[in-house]
Amino acid sequence: MKKTKTIFQDGNHKWVAIVRDPDKPNYLIDTNEYLVTHGGQGILLDPGGAEVFPAVFSALSSEFDPSALSAIFASHQDPDICSSLALWLEFNPKMRCYVSWLWSSFIPHFGGTAETFVSMPDEGADISLDGLMLKAIPAHYLHSSGNLHLYDKVAKVLFSGDVGAALLPPGEDGLFVESFDKHIRHAEGFHRRWMGSNEAKRRWCERVSQMEIDMLCPQHGAIYQGADVQRFINWFDDLQVGICGG
Amino acid sequence: MTMTTALTTLPTKTQQAGVDLLRIVRINEEIKSVVGVAFKINIMALNAIFLAKRAGTAARGFGVLSNELRVFSQDLRDGMSSLTSLIHGCVTEVSLVLQDIRHTALLRRAVDLSPAGCGRDVLAAREVENNRHAERLARLRKQLRGALDDAFRMVELGGVLAKSAKIEAAYGQSFAVPLSQVSGEFDGVVEEIRASLEALRRSAFFAGN
Repeated sequence: MKKTKTIFQDGNHKWVAIVRDPDKPNYLIDTNEYLVTHGGQGILLDPGGAEVFPAVFSALSSEFDPSALSAIFASHQDPDICSSLALWLEFNPKMRCYVSWLWSSFIPHFGGTAETFVSMPDEGADISLDGLMLKAIPAHYLHSSGNLHLYDKVAKVLFSGDVGAALLPPGEDGLFVESFDKHIRHAEGFHRRWMGSNEAKRRWCERVSQMEIDMLCPQHGAIYQGADVQRFINWFDDLQVGICGG
Repeated sequence: MTMTTALTTLPTKTQQAGVDLLRIVRINEEIKSVVGVAFKINIMALNAIFLAKRAGTAARGFGVLSNELRVFSQDLRDGMSSLTSLIHGCVTEVSLVLQDIRHTALLRRAVDLSPAGCGRDVLAAREVENNRHAERLARLRKQLRGALDDAFRMVELGGVLAKSAKIEAAYGQSFAVPLSQVSGEFDGVVEEIRASLEALRRSAFFAGN
């Protein structure tokens, strides 16, 4: 079963990271899911693949009533992001799935109906969670051609999808980045290969540099917090991406 | 059902649904070939009607039988067409059953891992839906078997017509040879269809619920 860790809390406004399943088979890439709650509602960010659904569901239900999940945010279309969609919809068929317009007719192959999907434009969108305004911000081509991240201005938390991701070896898989220099070695290859555009990367770095961020939460690997957030943005800005060794 | 039983029966159910899907695909292929043969009978019956007309009064009985064989070939094609739509229905239902099995296994694992068995109501609703699909598949399976039996009976009647045409051909005087040849071809083709349908009726697909 996955573990849950509350990474931000202010009254009933919470960010819960759902991470690290010791029983996960090695052939599946490890993923982080995030639950944001406010009032009586919850939104699940990148709920994960169908194969990890039991582990994510059971961990989430220890913190929150899964039938009160009002929405899912899918940063992009990959199977490790949202192939569990049909299973979540069994718990609340009225649940909405926020997704880039580019993928709004592709992701329904994982499940849902026309009413399930809320298409977000390229410039992003505001998502209300029981009065809390969350902001979907553009991260196109990082890595998917229709890619959005989610910013919570009140909690100062940015969910950054695959940006900031690291493939951590056993024993170095803590929830938070402890030593930036040691950690970033596990992120470098991933970013060089998966991120397809230097121009898109530059725009993203400029955009997020202007935001107040205490925690940058990727979908794989560890969470950057405090000074490591800006350190990561600077590192990413300098990195040449879209490179294949072959 | 205990957890252990659930874990041991799930792969069996999946394997069964996978095997069912393969069997129904094979039945579909066989029916496609029977439809092709039924179309051939229609052309053969038309030729036989023209031949009987040329033979005149000597082949009057043969002419009547040729007309009946033409009606038979049309009925056979109609029968095959309803078999084809039943098979498409079966393929859809078996695919849904396969999807149900995977979803239910994941949901059951989620509920078993959850504190206080959260989500049992959703799992129960999923199982009701699964039963609905399984019942629909059982109904379709029964209908398909019934439609195959009907087609088989029709083909047996076709066989009788073809054999009677062979007898009538003997009275065709100077046309006896070509009439015998045509009626012999009829008999051969009807026998081919009968053998195919007989094999389809024995398919293990019909042994399931």
